[in-house]
Amino acid sequence: MFFIYQGTAVPRDARDAEKEELLKGTLDMLILQTLTLQPMHGYAIAQHIERLSGDVLAVEQGSLYPALERLQKRGWLTSKWAPSPTGRRARYYTLTPSGRRQLGAEISSFDRVLAAIQRVLERA
Amino acid sequence: MSFLDGFRHRLRVFGRPRSYERELDEELRFHLSLEAMQQEHAAHGTLSPPDARFRARRRFGNPTFHKEETRAMSGLGFFDMARQDLRFALRTLRRTPGFTAIAILTLALGIGANTAIFSAVDAMLLRPLPYRQPDRLMQVSITVPSFNGQPESDDVPWSYLKAAAFRDAQHVFSSVGLYSRESVTLRATDATREESEVIDEGYLPTLGLSPSLGRNFVTDENRPNGRRSVIVSESFWNRRLNADPSVLGRTLDIEGAPFTVIGVMAAGFHGLGGRADLWMTIGTRRPFMFDPNEAWDHEFTMVGRLAPGISPARAKSDAAVLGARANAAFATGGPGPSWAATARPLDGLRVDPLMRRSLLVLLGAVAFVLLIACANLANLFLARASARQREIAVRLAIGASRRRLVRQLLTESLLLSVLGGLASVAVASLGVRTLSTLNPERAFPAQRIGGLGAVNFSTIQLDWRALVFAAGAALVTGILFGLVPATQATRPSLTAALKDGSPHTSLRGILRRVTTRNLLVVVELALALVLLAGSGVMLRSLAHLLSVDPGFDAGGVLTLRLNSTPQARPRDSLPAFYHTLIAQLRAIPGVTDAALGDCPPLAGGCNSTMISRHGGIPLTLGSEPLVGVHWVTPGWFATLRVPLVSGRLFTDADRVGGPKVVLVNATAARRFWPNESPIGKRVGLGQGGFDTATVVGVVGDVHFGTIDSTPGADAFIPYAQSPRNGALVYLRTAGDPALLASAARRVIHDVGADLPVYDVRTLASRVGDASAQARFSSLLILMFAGAALVLATVGIYGVISFAVAQRTREIGIRIALGADRGSVLRLVVSQGAALTTIGLVLGLGTALVTTRVLRSLLFEVTPSDPVTYGLVVVVLAVSALAASWVPARRAAALQPTAALRE
Repeated sequence: MFFIYQGTAVPRDARDAEKEELLKGTLDMLILQTLTLQPMHGYAIAQHIERLSGDVLAVEQGSLYPALERLQKRGWLTSKWAPSPTGRRARYYTLTPSGRRQLGAEISSFDRVLAAIQRVLERA
Repeated sequence: MSFLDGFRHRLRVFGRPRSYERELDEELRFHLSLEAMQQEHAAHGTLSPPDARFRARRRFGNPTFHKEETRAMSGLGFFDMARQDLRFALRTLRRTPGFTAIAILTLALGIGANTAIFSAVDAMLLRPLPYRQPDRLMQVSITVPSFNGQPESDDVPWSYLKAAAFRDAQHVFSSVGLYSRESVTLRATDATREESEVIDEGYLPTLGLSPSLGRNFVTDENRPNGRRSVIVSESFWNRRLNADPSVLGRTLDIEGAPFTVIGVMAAGFHGLGGRADLWMTIGTRRPFMFDPNEAWDHEFTMVGRLAPGISPARAKSDAAVLGARANAAFATGGPGPSWAATARPLDGLRVDPLMRRSLLVLLGAVAFVLLIACANLANLFLARASARQREIAVRLAIGASRRRLVRQLLTESLLLSVLGGLASVAVASLGVRTLSTLNPERAFPAQRIGGLGAVNFSTIQLDWRALVFAAGAALVTGILFGLVPATQATRPSLTAALKDGSPHTSLRGILRRVTTRNLLVVVELALALVLLAGSGVMLRSLAHLLSVDPGFDAGGVLTLRLNSTPQARPRDSLPAFYHTLIAQLRAIPGVTDAALGDCPPLAGGCNSTMISRHGGIPLTLGSEPLVGVHWVTPGWFATLRVPLVSGRLFTDADRVGGPKVVLVNATAARRFWPNESPIGKRVGLGQGGFDTATVVGVVGDVHFGTIDSTPGADAFIPYAQSPRNGALVYLRTAGDPALLASAARRVIHDVGADLPVYDVRTLASRVGDASAQARFSSLLILMFAGAALVLATVGIYGVISFAVAQRTREIGIRIALGADRGSVLRLVVSQGAALTTIGLVLGLGTALVTTRVLRSLLFEVTPSDPVTYGLVVVVLAVSALAASWVPARRAAALQPTAALRE
């Protein structure tokens, strides 16, 4: 589903770099999309993305946190501490209105790219 | 509102970085424990808790790494790095205390001097005038076209009647006010002279001011012989009235008349003239000004506040039309001279153009010094960086990014500049204190220096604006002198540096580095030459100024002022009184001559009036030439040793009732009676009741105005025929004139106990004041040039020493191969000489262009004075060569064995 390269022939660090490159945009989009359902803590976001994408998104869960920080800095998410169902408190992330607009913009540009690729593939 | 949300997030992070970190830890721990639980759950009990945690870790990745990434994303990493760099920089600086001390001292002096001069520029040129909406205030002046050899003027004050006519006719100003400076005698237990302003009721409201205690004048108080009221300054209220809150209604004896205190102004206000402690109305101080015969008695400066919606240009054009009408209304018969009026923004007149220029020149000069200091520090840093080349190469090799290293080196230079900036505050406060205590009235004679007295050196202060300037200067210098060495030093030519630790094996590397250093030194030399040339021509100008013959002999003469009042001594009794006074003063042992005059020489200018020549071409009123008028006693010319050119001087026989006589100076004789003798000619003067008088003699020219302007036409009137209340006493003494001051005071007190004696000074010091401004500017710029010379010399010394150190091995080989000491000496010195030559040529070109700004400040010397330039070039060349001679000697004395083993 996503452009995560899974081959093994590529040297490890090159693959990582590629992964990172591709992830930056898509991971942001996935987080924003996930949070349209309800405010969630980091673990729940990771779970949600993994469940939906299967193993394709074989990215370390820890990479989620720099992304969350980045999205907060942009003002697309806000966070606050609240008790979780287990009783321990957790940081819950909420989508802001501008984050919702950003998601819309990203999805539509993503769709355009996808459509273009599809057209190219069909002609070839 | 994404911007706001993001901003709030950042605030939270930066506001409490520690709790941010704690929370991040907690969040990651929370994540890991949930994942571990999940793993355990998914394995249906086949997984031990430690294994589950291990799997969770695998799924998660390195928590420390992700935490670091998150921190870096939040921007906190920046601070971590800064802290690291700062600690490292501190350690490095502490390791080389000598270097650090010199750098900080250089910066403190450079930035401090800049800040002090900036404070002066700020106070004198930039800070808004302390009145309501100062940009809406304009000064309105009468304009007079040139006629009969008199230059045109656009800055002539108003007579009261013309001003009133103008005020009532105009609609461009919502209000206008008039003022004129005056000093008056205040009698309480003793008699003192106080500075005051004679104003109309519109003056304070126009400025947007009202007394902080009491009230402003009302129209009723500004009528001839109206109710006598006085407004006092806050400092006068403190000094003379014991800050009495119930002072309103008290009377003061001013010039022998009772004035009722009706107001106290707020602290700091001393009138637009800048010195007043008392304000009184034109009606009470100048009742005669309301007489139509005095419509040509021009005394008052007019300020106006623009009416809403009126532009300054509109006000100017209206002033021209209405000013012409006001002047014409009082011209009797004939086509009156085309006098008109103009309006200028008050802020543009705040200081004399010469003062503005001097200050800007000083600011430029001091900025040059700072630039040179920067170049020097950059050179020092470069030298240090090349000593640290191995360290830098190692760091680059093991993966430090170049940006990171540049940042670290820049932190070092910025730390130095911040320390220098802090130290500079002490230097600046010292400089500001010195500047602000300069007595502007003396250092810059008032009439010569135009502009508002309210904007003067006493308003210079080290305020937050100056501190912001100092901080900015520190940052800019830190980046200036740090950036070049930092980028140079980290240029990745690291293999050579690593290979054998002798950086000079890579010729290109040396060239590149040495070129930067050479460039800096060349720039330093060029800047120093500009400063030296500038200060050189200013000094030459000063020398010219000091060698001007003022037309009198100031040595051994004491001057003091006294003032009588019509109440104490009626006008008719004055001649006899002055006669007695002079006789008593002459009797003081040590006094060889005594005389009275009304206006001291070199005071910026004296009273002047129209002169008409009877029997000549009749001229319409207002179009006669102007002549300076001076009241003197017969002994004045002998006391000041002013020569008699032809005819005779005054004698005691020239008295009231006798035929009126005048003397003229050589310029007046030449101008008014070309090709004939003025002796015996009949003239009329517009003042002193001298409608008809006879010229009896011609005397030498005296510089009454300024030392650098040629004397104008002057006429002298005997005191005895036109007595005046005030007089300046001149005493020629055999010894030190200052020693006779108290004896003179005693004599005057015996003759008239009511007379205030003030302004007691030697004539020599008055002459000194005439060149004070030139001396002040020259001295400062000379100091800056001296600093520049020292810095540039040190700079070239540093570069040549460094080059010698780099070439030690090469020189050693040369000597070992048989090069004699002389040729090594030449080799090194010639490098210095080459740099010096380039610097000097560059500097000469720059100086020729930049010193043009000095033109209006110079007296009888051109900005490109060849003598000065020659001298300056020699001075710089000699010091630069001397600076390279020292390391050259060191090179020549090198022991080849030692050099090669190194």
